Amino acid sequence: MQGSAIVRHVVTFGRVLREVGIEVGPGRVADAIHGLDSVDLTRQEDVYFTLRQTLVSRHDELELFDRAFVAWFLRGPIAPLVRQKDRRRFADKVARDTLESGQGDDEPEEPDTPHEVGASAHELLREKDFAEMTPEEFERVRRLMAAIARTRPRRTSRRRSPDPRGDRLDLRRLCRKSLRSGGDPVEQTWKARKTVHRKLVVLCDVSGSMDAYARALLFYLHAIVGTGTGGEAFAFGTRLTRLTPDLATRDPEAALARATELAIDWGSGTRIGSSLAEFNTVYGRRALSRGAVVVIVSDGWERDDPDLIGREMAKLARAAYAVVWVNPLKGNPEYQPLAGGMRAALPFVDRFLPGHNLRSLEELGAVLAGIERRHAA
Amino acid sequence: MTFRTIDELEAALRGADYLPDRGLATALFLSLALEKPVLLEGEAGVGKTEAAKALATALDARLIRLQCYEGLDVSHAVYEWNYPRQLLHIRAAQEGTVSEEELFGPEFLIRRPLLEAIDSDEQVVLLIDEVDRADEEFEAFLLEILSDFQITIPELGTIRARRKPAVVLTSNRTRELHDALKRRALFHWIGHPSLEREVEIVRLRVPGIPERLAAEAAAFVRGLRGLDLAKPPGVAETIDWAQALAALGREEIDAEVVEQTLGSVLKYREDIEAVRDETLVGLIEEARATAR
Repeated sequence: MQGSAIVRHVVTFGRVLREVGIEVGPGRVADAIHGLDSVDLTRQEDVYFTLRQTLVSRHDELELFDRAFVAWFLRGPIAPLVRQKDRRRFADKVARDTLESGQGDDEPEEPDTPHEVGASAHELLREKDFAEMTPEEFERVRRLMAAIARTRPRRTSRRRSPDPRGDRLDLRRLCRKSLRSGGDPVEQTWKARKTVHRKLVVLCDVSGSMDAYARALLFYLHAIVGTGTGGEAFAFGTRLTRLTPDLATRDPEAALARATELAIDWGSGTRIGSSLAEFNTVYGRRALSRGAVVVIVSDGWERDDPDLIGREMAKLARAAYAVVWVNPLKGNPEYQPLAGGMRAALPFVDRFLPGHNLRSLEELGAVLAGIERRHAA
Repeated sequence: MTFRTIDELEAALRGADYLPDRGLATALFLSLALEKPVLLEGEAGVGKTEAAKALATALDARLIRLQCYEGLDVSHAVYEWNYPRQLLHIRAAQEGTVSEEELFGPEFLIRRPLLEAIDSDEQVVLLIDEVDRADEEFEAFLLEILSDFQITIPELGTIRARRKPAVVLTSNRTRELHDALKRRALFHWIGHPSLEREVEIVRLRVPGIPERLAAEAAAFVRGLRGLDLAKPPGVAETIDWAQALAALGREEIDAEVVEQTLGSVLKYREDIEAVRDETLVGLIEEARATAR
């Protein structure tokens, strides 16, 4: 009798966890029940760890779990959980609203055969500044971004696969083939290294001055993360927020709404230096930037001390394979990187590019695909 | 050796000179009870690898360690054929008398850690260290082994574990591991130990250290962790440092000796520079007050 009570308890608790956003499959619930079988149920600590270790698999879910555990088993106040849910709903709502207002009635099918008129309109769209686009134009540009996102920097993997023009002997096949010739390697078999995607980390400024561009680049990021080949995205304003999980699942508009909400204290300016510092300490320490191509998207306007930016950029450049800075202002031929932050950062930047229209995103894609390390290691 | 309760396992780990907190003892206990791998995550130096070693000692089992790195592949993790021997064998034999089965038989197989752990008759603790360093492709391969506890070698067939190894995976979270792999494993996050436990650990690992010195060293390192450092010191660093202090014959810490030995606690120049002058003096005073 006691056994089935436990089962019910755990199953319900699993449901509570799912509600707060922790993914709990039936296998995990079974593990939890099985685990509780072998520990002393009168020791609260043991019950807590058994449930935690079987039901949670990520460090960033521990806090949510703890709150749910306190609320469910210890009957503590449940308030913080509700707040978390509200935030999500809010983001979804923003997403819906923006989507509904952004789209016309039935949007016209994109003409498959552009001919002269269509082609030149297309060409104009590629050159048009993101900030000046209508929602409808933006919608069309969005589709083109997915194509650009597929070109990604690659690195040589250490794994080898059969290749007649390879640089190493494939001894396993060689041995087998040599059987027929009594141990003489008559026919030579070779293998070569394959190339795989290099890590790509993008830090995107979502402060007010970057509004239109951040939106465009976020769609681009969404397409990159969607290819499932190891892209990581962060947003920063006054703070740094990791965007990858949001971009992997939800609509980019919703991700942007959430990023803006989390990364910006309204009324205070952008803090590039401290955001970079946060990135270096929290994620750099976990070697996220090591060997990666790091792309920073920002106009370089900011309140922090330029020296801080210089120091943090130096740290970043040491760990990264290459650093690319995308500045929409650079689209203006008159632009000179005079802002203090931008000037301090430039010595550590391998490539400095504009990112104000579709053409410049194509250029970014091309640079990323062929990028080589320029700065001294 | 088997353990019926968490307390029994905890006592055995202590016997192996390892002081786990209750959470870690529970994780290792459940891993044995449910026969599931356990994934240990935490900052560098909190004793993830040591936990696996202690578990092997406690179980009186053989420890097999696979250190992961980028580019780790099957031939280094599972098995490889001994090509030079194979070629020599073909040469030495009469022409046409060597069959393919003979050439790809157990005699010419080089067994790497994973195969060794699966194909073993004795009790084994398999430590897959820093799995986040390996490529994602390798992770997928690992998943296969950890779900079925079997390895297929095309030339030999499938080798099934006769005795499931206890598996401990560690990760420093340089990247998030694949969900499928996480689903197969129990998960435990190891934080920095409490002050009392860290003092206890230092006294266990540095025999003969004055009690006062152990307490001050642990409290000082704890203070360092509260600062914004590039690499906050782990328990391993506390132990190293306490050893150095004890070797110098110290009874207590002071500014002079801390400055001389700070290099064994902090490994980055920026960090050492950040902990100078007033910060250092403040931390020492605080540590001495806590230890009193």
